[in-house]
Amino acid sequence: MKYFRQRLGFFVMTLWACITINFVLPRVMPGNAAIDMMARFKGEISPATYHAMALALGVQTRQNLVSAYVHYVADLFTGHLGVSATFFPRSVVSVVGASLPWTLGLVGITTVLAYVLGTLIGILGAWRRGGKLDSLLPPIFIITSAFPYFFTALLAILLFAIKLHWLPTGFGYSPEAKIAMTWSFAGDVLYHAFLPALTILITATGGWILTMRNNMITTLADDYVTMARAKGLSPRRIMFDYAGRNAILPNLTGFAMSLGFVVSGAVLVEYVFSYPGIGYTLLLAVQNGDYNLMQALFFLITLCVLVAVLVMDLVTVLVDPRTREQG
Amino acid sequence: MWKRVLVTVGLSLGLVATTCWPVSSEASILKPSASFVPSANTNALTIDDEGGSLWNCSFNPINPTQSAGPEFGFIYEPLIMVNPLQNGKTTPWLATSYAWSNGNKTLTFTIRKGVDWSDGSPFTAADVVFTFQLLKRYPAADANAVWTVLQSVSQQGDNVVMNFKAPSVPYFYYIADQVPILPEHIWSKISNPLTYVDAQPVGTGPMVIGQCTPQNIMYTANKNYWQPGLPKVQVLNFPAFLSNSSANTYLQTGQANWGGQFIPNIKVFYTSKSPYYHYWYTSDRNVYLFINLTAPQLNDVQVRRAMAYAINRGQVSLVGEGGYEQPSNQAGIVTPSFTSWLDTPLLSTYNYTYNVSRAESILEADGYKKGSDGIFAKDGKQLSFSVINQGGDSDWVASLQVIAQDLQAAGIGLTIDEMSNSAYDNDLFKGEYQLAYGELGYGPAPYYELRSLLYSKESAPIGQVASGNYERYSNPSTDALLNEYATTTNPGTQHSIIDSIEKVMLSDVPSIPMTESALWFQYDDQYWTGWPTPSDPYMDPDPGHAPFHEVVLLNLRPR
Amino acid sequence: MTGPTTRGEAPVADRLRSGAFYNVTRAVLSNRKATVGLGLLLVFVVLSLFPGLVARDSPTADTFTPSLGPSLSHLLGTTSYGQDVFAQLVYGTRESLVIAIVAGLLATALAVFMGVTSAFVGGTVDHALSMVIDTFLVLPAFPLIIVIAAYTKHASNGVLIAVLVVTGWSYGARTLRAQALSLRNRDFIIAARVRRERTWRLITFEVLPNMTSLILASFLGAALFSVLAAAGLQFIGLGNPDAQSWGTMLYWAQNSEALQAGMPLWAIMPGLCLALLGASFALLNYAFDEIGNPALRPVRMRRGR
Repeated sequence: MKYFRQRLGFFVMTLWACITINFVLPRVMPGNAAIDMMARFKGEISPATYHAMALALGVQTRQNLVSAYVHYVADLFTGHLGVSATFFPRSVVSVVGASLPWTLGLVGITTVLAYVLGTLIGILGAWRRGGKLDSLLPPIFIITSAFPYFFTALLAILLFAIKLHWLPTGFGYSPEAKIAMTWSFAGDVLYHAFLPALTILITATGGWILTMRNNMITTLADDYVTMARAKGLSPRRIMFDYAGRNAILPNLTGFAMSLGFVVSGAVLVEYVFSYPGIGYTLLLAVQNGDYNLMQALFFLITLCVLVAVLVMDLVTVLVDPRTREQG
Repeated sequence: MWKRVLVTVGLSLGLVATTCWPVSSEASILKPSASFVPSANTNALTIDDEGGSLWNCSFNPINPTQSAGPEFGFIYEPLIMVNPLQNGKTTPWLATSYAWSNGNKTLTFTIRKGVDWSDGSPFTAADVVFTFQLLKRYPAADANAVWTVLQSVSQQGDNVVMNFKAPSVPYFYYIADQVPILPEHIWSKISNPLTYVDAQPVGTGPMVIGQCTPQNIMYTANKNYWQPGLPKVQVLNFPAFLSNSSANTYLQTGQANWGGQFIPNIKVFYTSKSPYYHYWYTSDRNVYLFINLTAPQLNDVQVRRAMAYAINRGQVSLVGEGGYEQPSNQAGIVTPSFTSWLDTPLLSTYNYTYNVSRAESILEADGYKKGSDGIFAKDGKQLSFSVINQGGDSDWVASLQVIAQDLQAAGIGLTIDEMSNSAYDNDLFKGEYQLAYGELGYGPAPYYELRSLLYSKESAPIGQVASGNYERYSNPSTDALLNEYATTTNPGTQHSIIDSIEKVMLSDVPSIPMTESALWFQYDDQYWTGWPTPSDPYMDPDPGHAPFHEVVLLNLRPR
Repeated sequence: MTGPTTRGEAPVADRLRSGAFYNVTRAVLSNRKATVGLGLLLVFVVLSLFPGLVARDSPTADTFTPSLGPSLSHLLGTTSYGQDVFAQLVYGTRESLVIAIVAGLLATALAVFMGVTSAFVGGTVDHALSMVIDTFLVLPAFPLIIVIAAYTKHASNGVLIAVLVVTGWSYGARTLRAQALSLRNRDFIIAARVRRERTWRLITFEVLPNMTSLILASFLGAALFSVLAAAGLQFIGLGNPDAQSWGTMLYWAQNSEALQAGMPLWAIMPGLCLALLGASFALLNYAFDEIGNPALRPVRMRRGR
């Protein structure tokens, strides 16, 4: 119970820190959305017009910082995230709603795939240490994990899309595609997701291999595994049920965090592939000085990470009795 | 099994993504208004223009954040089309004719009959009056500030009569060409036109919305269009790109046919890939090195003149802009679009060609002496400045690197301050800079840009937001010239006024025009012909320029 | 956040106490992955220290014929702005490496300070510091970097490094705290406490030497993160476009469509160098894991297993 209270405290504290960072950043910045909008105006701007624009965009006028902070927090929790300046007059909520599923689909699935793949390779590598698989795959993936995302993406586009014409150069689906619940549209979406997914897998799998392999090796040295071997259990059973299961425990939190970070998208991959997800939207918000959208995305990302970590903490408590004893 | 899971997840996610978007339920994009689905690319046209954003799928043309969105022209139309490439040549559009009267204080439009809105209701002069009254009520929607000069707008049968507070001839362009006419029967019911999400716009234009997602706008032909037999283009796709590079690749691979952004090494990258690929770059405005005239040393005209001589504009054009933008002249008249306005003898009298020794001698005559570091100084103050720039525009970053080297060679120090767009706009508009690289408001004659650059009422005190005249130039005789221009429709008088203003540009050097900002335009004529060319510049060909792109679209014919 | 996860026991204290760095050096040289990583890193260090020895031309001169292919006078060709690609690549090494090493060092210093303080002071301080560490751990690093880089006027190297440190220190702090906690209860530390050694002496001379391999590993991790994040920022144009670095080179190459406009080396070489520098950090890191945790060291396959 104490453990649970502690985690909840951490959750609240971190959320508060994030909200406050969000509140402070735009207020120390020069310019505002109305200024940006002026750049698009061609006529003379009277102070009245400028004021009307600022009002229409909900640009904060000078007000008491404390009351602004209270309003800000209240709006956040009632879902009043305001209007996006980039997508004006769309609300921030509808903009986030439109980009979120793309990121969940692409980055979510590839994160799970990378984890599963990395964990499997890690387990197998540790089981047959020094074997063919172990001396080949982990080092290769360790090196590819150090590749810059965008560079891998650029080369992949050049090779598979431009030279070989196998896959599209970008986008989440073909512009002409009729969006409907059909197999052909689903195929189109998958066809467009393949290349970005591949680049993420190439760079993201290595980390999981390394941690899983290390955990597995230490676990394999434990007494109960030796005991299981002595009892003559099948290697398969020892590998997955005994050692693998315990070796996974320590990196569950890491997995939870990366699941949370799914929401932040793979900014660079989405950028290179013009993939209409959260990362791309965040970049748009940043480039257009769209503070409402930026704040909402940042809040959403942190919230998702925290919730994922909180859930995984609870799961760990259920799975691993030792944590219940810890202070 | 994995495959099936993936398909299901992908499918449902894609569907959620796209259904989330339109807020109003009746405007669900799952039921496109036109049931046209293209089977082949041959009756479709795809635009390739990097806008740096995803689509918001709101086609509200008076939305204050984008004064000319893509819907203006394709869907909502102006009264008269004005061609900036042919000295403001007019083509009747929703108005069949116009006339100035009452000492150029009254403008009367005769409204076209037999035009229907895309929902079948008839278009009338009342819609025009309604639109202008709406702009009066919502100043934030009046992007061209037409109500700063308008007195009243009223209907007289098929005519719309506009009265002005003072003669305002140049405002004809803003009123006739830059205001999208809205249907009264729809917009009169909207409580806040500024924030209205116009997901299924009803216009008089040749296209309607077929399907919109953040990633693509698919326009389909308006079966009710008033120009018989047009448009030939049945489907028009306009995908959204964030980066130049992804847009360029899309164009290069033939997925799009009408391009409108900078392509580096275009001969290798684009035109070499197909005999049908072409490009043509012309211009209707300048890129400037703005000079803050309130800054110490920069308020000295000799320093500004020295800078104009010290910079090799040809090299800026060649290295910074890859040779695609021509070097500007100090008179500020863009060629070839406005060549007839250029006072060539005057220009050669001042002869602002690249000349380092001339720059140095001007500074020496002004009392400056070169220090041991090669930088000029007077009274212990070094001739060294910083220039602000939008760090995201790589051509301008490269141009400034050339400019910095040139100035350095002539003994003037320059540090480049690359900024985010917001910070840059903030400093530029408020006059909190020394030098700045950028552009101004412009129009179908040199007057518009020169007014934006020099008119004192465009400016504002340091620290306050200015809509133009960022360098804070103030000269009563120049103001008087600009005011006089607004009172006359006589081309002879207009030309002599612009000649006088060119002299101001040459003698006062209020800012330095650097290159002639290109109208980017690439096209693929394998399926569609009838594109604008240097010999037939019937309209500004940049697909991102509303409402001009409508005229280009209507001129296209299948091969 | 379930407490210590480092299962590997630290090497025997006494052995490491006598010449920790000597041992680390010996271990690196006997590990093939580490040797390769170290070799790569050394090449880049030499390039960054003496770029003028390798490249004749100035990286900023734009006086050559633009868009040339590789030749003897321009080993990797020229850019479309008329600069020498090879010179830019060689001179760009310094900034990329400096950002990685400075950001890595500062982040590691912060991580050591926070992690070890947290573990050794204990009590409320530990709770508070752990909270801070965990908070920074869950902040989305790259989005935060993008936002901060956009907020500051132009991302100069100082700002870039500061941002990388702020977002890059917490992971190391967490693992270091875990190891420091386990060291705290070791016999030789308890013995030192009984001898009433001062805490800072204890930490400097007893604790830190025993954490050498983990500290090095967290430095390498932070450096790798910094290299990739800085290059990513510069690539999307949020860095300083006038800087000389591989990320900036890629930005310009991408803006000029170098890959497809006949200057592929302009884009491929800086990307490759980034990948090699990253790989050298990753290989060293991989090796330090093995050095710090003897259980992970490569074994020869035994027959009949």
